[in-house]
This record gives sequence, structure tokens and C-alpha cells, in this order.
Amino acid sequence: MGWRAMRFQSMTGQAPRRRAARVMAMMLWWICGYGAMALRAEGTLLESPPPAVAAAAPERAVVQILVSSQVPVFDAPWRYHPIRRSSGTGFVIEGGRILTNAHVIAWAKQILIRRYQDPRLLPARVVFAGHDCDLALIEPVDPKDLEGVKALEFGELPAVQSTVVTCGYPAGGDQMSFTRGVVSRIEVQPYAHPGNRSWLAVQTDAAINPGNSGGPVFQGDKVVGVAFQGLPGLQNAGFFIPPEVVRHFLDDVKDGRYDGFPMAGVGFDSLQNPAYRRLLGLTDDGRGARVDWLRPDGSAAKVLRPDDVLLEAGGYPVGSDAMIPYRGNRVAAGVAFQQAQAGEKLPLKIWREGKAIDVLLPMEAYTGDRLAGRQHDEPPRYFIYGGMVFTPLSANYLDTVGRIGRDPLWENLARLAYELHHRPVEDIEGARPEPVVLAGILPHAVNADIGVRGRVLVNRINGVRIEKLEDVKRALSENGGARHVFEFVGPEEGPIEAIDRAAADAAQAGILSTYGIVSAERL
Amino acid sequence: MQRTPFLRLFLIVALGLGFVAVAASEARAQLLLQRPGWDRSLVSVEVTYKVYDAFQPWNEPTRAIRKHGVVIAPGEILTTAQYLPTHTLVRVQKGGRGRWYDARVKWWDAQSNLAVLEAAAPAFWDGLAPAKLAEKVGRGPEFELLRWRDGNLENRRVEFGKFTVSEGVLGFAPHVQLEVSTDLSGLGWTEVLARDGVIVGLTTYSNGRVCGALPAPFIRDVLAAWRAGSFSGLGYFDFTWQPGSNPELLKELGMEGESRGAVVHAAGRESDPAKSPRPRDILLEIDGFPIDSEGDYLDPDYGHLMLEYLANRGHFAGATVKLKVRRGARELTLDYVVPKADFTDETMPREVFDGPPKYLVAGGLVFQPLTQPFLRGWGDEWRKYAPYRLQYYQYGEPRDKRRSLVVLTGVLPDPINLGYQDAVMLVVDKVNGRVVATLADLAEALETPAEGGVHRVEFMPGRNLQRLVLDAATLDAATARVKEYYGLPATRRL
Repeated sequence: MGWRAMRFQSMTGQAPRRRAARVMAMMLWWICGYGAMALRAEGTLLESPPPAVAAAAPERAVVQILVSSQVPVFDAPWRYHPIRRSSGTGFVIEGGRILTNAHVIAWAKQILIRRYQDPRLLPARVVFAGHDCDLALIEPVDPKDLEGVKALEFGELPAVQSTVVTCGYPAGGDQMSFTRGVVSRIEVQPYAHPGNRSWLAVQTDAAINPGNSGGPVFQGDKVVGVAFQGLPGLQNAGFFIPPEVVRHFLDDVKDGRYDGFPMAGVGFDSLQNPAYRRLLGLTDDGRGARVDWLRPDGSAAKVLRPDDVLLEAGGYPVGSDAMIPYRGNRVAAGVAFQQAQAGEKLPLKIWREGKAIDVLLPMEAYTGDRLAGRQHDEPPRYFIYGGMVFTPLSANYLDTVGRIGRDPLWENLARLAYELHHRPVEDIEGARPEPVVLAGILPHAVNADIGVRGRVLVNRINGVRIEKLEDVKRALSENGGARHVFEFVGPEEGPIEAIDRAAADAAQAGILSTYGIVSAERL
Repeated sequence: MQRTPFLRLFLIVALGLGFVAVAASEARAQLLLQRPGWDRSLVSVEVTYKVYDAFQPWNEPTRAIRKHGVVIAPGEILTTAQYLPTHTLVRVQKGGRGRWYDARVKWWDAQSNLAVLEAAAPAFWDGLAPAKLAEKVGRGPEFELLRWRDGNLENRRVEFGKFTVSEGVLGFAPHVQLEVSTDLSGLGWTEVLARDGVIVGLTTYSNGRVCGALPAPFIRDVLAAWRAGSFSGLGYFDFTWQPGSNPELLKELGMEGESRGAVVHAAGRESDPAKSPRPRDILLEIDGFPIDSEGDYLDPDYGHLMLEYLANRGHFAGATVKLKVRRGARELTLDYVVPKADFTDETMPREVFDGPPKYLVAGGLVFQPLTQPFLRGWGDEWRKYAPYRLQYYQYGEPRDKRRSLVVLTGVLPDPINLGYQDAVMLVVDKVNGRVVATLADLAEALETPAEGGVHRVEFMPGRNLQRLVLDAATLDAATARVKEYYGLPATRRL
């Protein structure tokens, strides 16, 4: 038995002979597909692939997605950046819809699809966007546009070292492109699109370039992933979203609403130190991960305690490295949690005070850290008064300020970054649900003497602590004094400014008109 | 082998020429030293100093730099304090070339960035003469800049820029600086700025075309106080303020009329609260100098300067200054005692000059105080690369207001710390239930293990590792093992 046959056997458990036949079939498809494309490109006459293969050719279900998008200016939130044109890939799945990446269609103003070797541009619209997992479902405006297209089917998580083929419309040409590679590794990776979520992902050395995003990754005739990101600085490393994440998304939207992946609000750490294991009454058997932190408002805080030891999650045994065995891989224990839908209860076996006990962990979608991740599709909220522009502090807003360690406004930036990312987890009582910043000031005589020109946290207005954007409006509208008083930075004393109330009221319409702002607020 | 007559003749001629050249060189050096001028006062200073390894604080590699000094009194050389706090060897050289003489640091002060050196060898002082420090420095238009370059005295013109008030290069106490504009490069090494034969400043930094210097009158004041034994260090205003340039804000705070003064927005934490300004006070005068709406005052010597300099003008830390403030409808005069600028006032000290870096190694875990010198271990671009959360303590105190912090900065792998290899750059909250602000706290806490026969180390709340435990019974043995295995000179320097 050759090395290759043995490897496949270990991965699939199938008999070598049956496996070999299947591999041959896969290779045939690759050869036909690649050969035909290559020769066509060279202008060489070649007969079409055999009809049977052509009819089932999965690339017929793959579409190019052409998007015109417009991203808001987060520090001038009534404005938008210029229209940006980009393209991605998608593929038809059961139900006549097209699966793609959420980042392909984010902030889209117009979506057009182009079917395989079809000259038409077909309008489409977003049905569901799961920005937390970078997946989206779109559909043609006219359902007939996908008639006759056979939906692709999903396979299972591919094995490490197995071969996969990506298919899509990457930069560098107009026609569909295929690249082949092996599955390099499977583990939890940060998803760049949301910015603050990490899920299971598959790394491959098959080229995944801009434009590939949203395209299917095939193994045989089954889709085993959705190409979605690369890593700058890493050569031959592209990533695709595995079938379990895709299925989670598709199951989630079945009720007509996307809830998102549940986040129980618990952090586990490895439990490999002998003294720590002894302290918790465990032998050195390599089992169990320690509960290190719990988010006070998370569902896990209701059933778990610090230093509980997680022995099993969703039926998966948890090792002392805080990993679980998962389909031949060893992945972070969080993967077991990611398989549950919001509203479900995940069975856990934990070790507490010398005993193993079973608990059910209620799973719920968590949006409390929404602002700390990248915002999509919903234009930023704002409120303008007296030329002072107030908007929620968000990761998108911080992007407009500069970069840590580089910007001359380092101190401002550092304070805002702390407020957004650290205070909510370090200082729960002091944290605000939606910190508000003075994004900038639209110059006018009424505000010309204000020394603070923006990029600062709003602490209090007229003595009212600003917890969210609505508080700005309320604090201003409820003030009957001659002046409005603004305190910045916080939570203790920081710069303070004042503005004449009557003059600001009178100037409001003129300021909006001068700067071409249609509405003073988007709340 | 037999030498040829020709070779012998050649050697004699060469030897003779050598003697002549050496004699001529010495004569020229003597002439140079006898001639009145800056070459008799300006000397070169070579400092070998320790550059501590931030991540292995027991390592003490050294570097050497060369800068300048100037003779200001018989047996005394004035220079800046830069590079002297951790010096291991100081040498001086006159005439820009020739022998280097051992020198000793007689006095140095980080906040004023000044130091006085002395050299024991009488030969060094032969031909040298003190230079004078100007009593006043006018506003331009030009100064001479003097430095030794390739063994020659270089005298170049630089343009007056402005007087400004800022923190010093080594400290945070505000003091007046003289800025000059020049195309010269490689400045900031204590070159002398002079006019009419007297020193008007010593350079401390350069940034592009701008070069900063300590003005001579400031130096005179500090030296005079030091000689008199009354130098208490530079002070600073420990409250924070903003310009009173917003008339609406001033009205809100009870002051009508022309904008003036500075609005205090945070009280200090070092000074007596009863004698210090409070948030929303308007600072109108300091020691009789009216404060304008920019937060400046008109200095009789330097023109408009930021009010911060009044913390040190004509006095030093500990002095009482009169602060006239408006508090609501009332005007008050506060007898504010200027606190001494002390690095230990800061939660994350920007410098530590009271000795080599402190550390404590317990079971292979390396703990150090959180300081800016530690963060600078990430290199010149430490602002970019050092952990942001650690840097942020510069602006945000810990919630419980503890005055200093201890960081787990590294792990020297050992069986006792198995599983904690990645537990680094974590700020310690408690050890065995006791709050830890200093390494001494930590050492004391480790004296009493927690329940279960372990040492329990808890870190500041967050999404980082929250706690770890070490076996108490074997900790001392493990620490000794680590010391031996990693070649540490000591497991603690508290």
C-alpha cells in the first residue's frame, strides 16, 4: 500500500480501493476543468468536456458579485466616502440563494451578479448578512435569473493534508479561476471582517486572493468551505470558512432572522500546572480546562464559577490545554460552544469542589461588544448641536483617529481605545453602554472659543453623565440655563467648555445649512 | 640579515621627521591652550553608562557616548545630566584631542538636567580657564554654537528661535528652554551657545532644524542654590488646567468681562488640598504675574511664557507661591506649596534613577515594577510596540489608586511554572490575597502562602489570564534552581 493510499485511509476510514476510485474521479474533474480552461486561454481548439461532466460542472453555480458600496465617514457621520467598486464570488445553494462573504456585500448600494459565461449583469439584494461570521445570503431580484442552476451541496470538514480546489473571480483577470492546494491546518482564527470574533477556520495553501472572497472551496463535487481571508505577511496561506460555521449561519436564518453566534461570556485557560491541578483536586491525567474569567452579564456567569474545571463541552472531552479533539484535529474548546444556536442549552460536565457535575449552559447571542468590532451596513448615529458633532465611540470611529504609537494625538487615542476596549471588561461599573465622543466641531462663531476641538470622550453635559447618544440630546433639551456646559474625558475631571444656549439654538439651522447637513441627528 | 646604508639613512630621516611632527603638534596644542577663547573652556566628556536589559534586569551591558562640558569654576566642569545617572566611567579631554583624564560626577540632577564633574589630575587643568554664564539672555538674533569636531573647535552661527517652557529631557518638571534654529546636524550633545564671550545656553536636544538648550540664567539659579546647599529640586504644579479662552465658560464659572486666566480642571494629588486650586477655579495670578487667557504670563526676562514655569521661577520645590484664584463669586489667594518633581509621584515613573532596575524572581516568574524605562525595552518605537495596556497606566491610574504597579514580565521555564510560559506582561493585583503595589509587597506576600499550600497570584481584571498558582512547598527550591540554571546573579533586587 502506497503512502498516499494510507494517508487517505487514515483520514476517511474508507477502504483503499474505493477511495482510489473516488480520488480518480476527483482528479478527472480537476483535469477536465483546468485543461479546458488552459487550452481555451491559449486559443487552442479543444472539444468541450464530456457532456456528463459539463452538466454537473459545479462552476456553473458560481457567480461573480459586483458591488458598488459606500462607507460612511465615521468622524463626519452624515457624509459618505466616494462610491467604491469591488467584486467577490458567491455560489448558489439550496433554496435559490447565493452564499457569499458578508464583507463582499457590506455597505452595498448596488449588487450585480454575473453567472458563469453569461454576459448579463443581474441585480441582486441581500437577504441575510451575518457580519460576525462573515457570511451573507443574497438573491437575484428576479428569481428566474437562477433558473436551471443546480445548487451546490456542502460536504464535511476536510481533513488536514487533503486536497481542495478554490473557485472564484480573483483579481488579475475576468474569467473564473481555479487553484488547488492542501488543507494546511484547522483551528480557531480571528475573523478580520468583524474584528473581534474568532471562529473555526481552515488554512490552505491554495491561492485565495481579493475577489476570491465568498467563493466555494471544493473537495470533489462538494463545497467544504467559503474562501474569506488571507494573512498579510504569510505566504501561501489563505483561509476558508468551514462547513460547520456555514451550517450554523444557514440554520440560524431559517426562522427568518439572524441572531448571530452565541457568546456565553466565559474564558478558559489551560490547566497544566501540577500545583494548580492538585489544588483543584485533579490528577495529572490531561483532562479539564480552568474557568479563568466570566463576563458578569453573560449566561455562563449563571452556571459557572471561576476555577470550575470544564471536563466536557457538548460531548467533547476537554483537555488540560483547553482544546478538544475535533474530527481528527485539536481545536480550542470554544468550538464546542460555537456549534450551539442562541436559545439552546449546551451540556457541560464540570469539576467543582472535588466532584464532576453536569450543567446546562444557556447560549445567547451577545452584542454588548458591538461597538468594539467593525460596524457594517448601519450608518453611524450622530447628533449635532451648535456645530458640535457627537457620535458613539466605535472601532470604526477609532480608525479615523490614527494608530496607537504613531499619531501625535496619542494620548487622546489611548484614552479612547481604553474606553472602547478595556474599560468594559476591567471597570464594569465605570463603563458606559455606548460611550460618546465629540467627533469634531463645525466652525461657527458660536463655537469658535471652544478649545476642545474633538476626538475626546464626552463625560457629562449639563451635569448629566453621558451613557449613550440619546443622553446628549436629553441633557441639552432639559437644560433651561443660559449656557450648556460640556465636560470631557472623564470619568473624573477633564477639560470643560460652555456654549451660549440661545446663540447655539439660533445658529443651529445656519450651521447645518452651511455644511450641507440634511439632518442634525441620526439617533 | 644585513641592513643597507640606504635603509639606515631612511630610518634616521623618518625618525627625525616624526620628532619634528610631534614637537610641532605639541607646540600647537600649547599655543591653542594659551590663547584666550572657548578652546580653553570647552571640554569633551566621555561617559560609559549602563543600559539595563528590560527583560533580564540583572543584565547590565554598557554603552559609551561623547558630549561636551564647560569649565565654570576652578576644578569644576558643567555638563548636562544626560547619560550620567547610570555611569560607570567618566573621562574628560581638553583641546579636542589628546589624553583622556578620569573625572568624577560631583553632582547631578535629573529634573534640571545639570551635572558638575571634577577631574583630579592637575595636568588636565593646565591651560584651562572658567567660562562665564550669562546673567541674562536676550532674544536673538544670533548666537555662536561651539563644539569640538574632529579635534577642532567649530564655531557656527545659529539663529534665535524662541523661549519656551517644557519638560526637561530627563524629567517632567517644567522649565524654560531656549530654542535656536540651525542647519547643523548632530546637535544636542551639550554644545555651548555663546554670545559676547559668555555662555548663554547648553544644548540638550535637537529635532530637525530646532535645537533646544538650557538658558544660562536658569543654570545659574540652579547652580547657585546647589552651591548654597539650598537646592530642593525643581517643582511643578500638580493640578491641570486649560486656557481660559472661552468667555462662555468663564461666565459660567462666575467671571464676566475680558477673557483671562486659566481654568483648573483637575486637582493635584501631591499638594495640600486646602491650599490648592480646585476644579473650576480660575487661576488669575501666580506670584503677582497675571495669567492671560492662553495660560501664559509675561516674564520680564523671557517674554510670554506658559504659567508652568512659575513653579520654578526664582525658587524651587517646597517654596510657597501665591495663587490668586476665582472660585465662584469670590477671589481667593492660596499659599500653594510647590511639590517636588519626583519620578515616584507617577504611577508609571518615566525614569528610575535611584539604582539599577528592581526585580524579583519567584519560581521562574520574573516580576518588575511598571516603569517607562521597562517599556522602552521595546526599542526606539516602543510607543508602537510595547503593550498598549501597560502604556495606558501613564494616563489612567488603577481603579484603587495604588501608587505603583508590579508586572509579571517574563517566565524562566522550570517545572514549577509549567503551563505558564505565555503568562507575561500581566499587571499583578494581589498575591495570596494581599494587594501588591511594589516588589516589597510581593516579597512580603510570598511569605504567607494561600490556602491549599500554594501561592496565588491574581492579575488585574480583564480578558487576560486572571490568576495562577505556584506550589508553595517547593517554591524556594525552584527559585534556587532557576538562579543556578539561568545564571542569575541574584533572585531579587528590591
